[in-house]
Amino acid sequence: MELVQIQRSLVDYTKSLFMEGFLDAQFLQLQQLQDDSNPDFVFEVVSLFFEDSEKLLNELIIALDQPNVDFKKIDSHVHQLKGSSSSIGAQRVKNACIAFRNYCDVQNIEGCLTCLQQVKQECYLVKNKFETLFRLEQQIMASGGSVPTIELGF
Amino acid sequence: MAPTLPSGDQASDQDNWDNGRLARKRQLLTEIVLRNRLTALVVDGDTTCRVLEQLLLRSYGVQTQGVDNGRDAVALIASGVKFNLIIIDMILPVLNGLEATRQIRDMGVHCKMLGVTACSGESERQAFLAAGVDVFIEKPLDPEHLVPILRELDGQ
Repeated sequence: MELVQIQRSLVDYTKSLFMEGFLDAQFLQLQQLQDDSNPDFVFEVVSLFFEDSEKLLNELIIALDQPNVDFKKIDSHVHQLKGSSSSIGAQRVKNACIAFRNYCDVQNIEGCLTCLQQVKQECYLVKNKFETLFRLEQQIMASGGSVPTIELGF
Repeated sequence: MAPTLPSGDQASDQDNWDNGRLARKRQLLTEIVLRNRLTALVVDGDTTCRVLEQLLLRSYGVQTQGVDNGRDAVALIASGVKFNLIIIDMILPVLNGLEATRQIRDMGVHCKMLGVTACSGESERQAFLAAGVDVFIEKPLDPEHLVPILRELDGQ
């Protein structure tokens, strides 16, 4: 595939992620912080997020499986995940965390369990989206091109 | 600079409004120049958030230090290290952000403190302000909130 076609694919794919709500404007800020001194910054931060989120999700699974559920602890974990997901622009994960915290507030175990599945699903989906995004970027770089900046003209 | 590809699509009024807002955000990220060397402490238990907030500050030329819990933040301030700005989360390991903020203020520290947290409720906002932060910001920390504060600290 020609370089221009891959660049066009990347732009269209990124656009679709915003349209489908996977990403919000905070992701653009992340990209703005990437420069020649930090060329892999976005990849590194996103990877960091998924490492930490996996640990948090495991903690949540354990916490919700206890005979006496500690909702304060669960809320703290979900709060952290809400914060980190919002910081990388993972909008659907953030929104799932907001719903989760609402069920924590009223100590609804079934609601929390449903929300946990939702959060896991959204993390899984956005992780796949990012992997595709980074793969396209790598193809562009391997072809000797530059990764286009995304202007939200849509 | 990386090339920008045209989208080729017609923008609606809402899209234009969103684009204008995003363009303004970009402007804020690139246009500030600080005259003085500012220092900031970032207190956040989440690595992703702490790394991002520190990098955002550094992109404006602010020298930053990061700690991941409230107790270490209080200890650092108590040791005499001075900062122009402290950015602190509400929910922190070991010592929470509310108590850490109170203890920092009780030491007579008057620097600007921003409570940057994933909490969004009015009661949480009031509690954080009552504890001593000057500004309450819901995560993520963005240039729109940060730049005016940096300009103020820089005396601009």
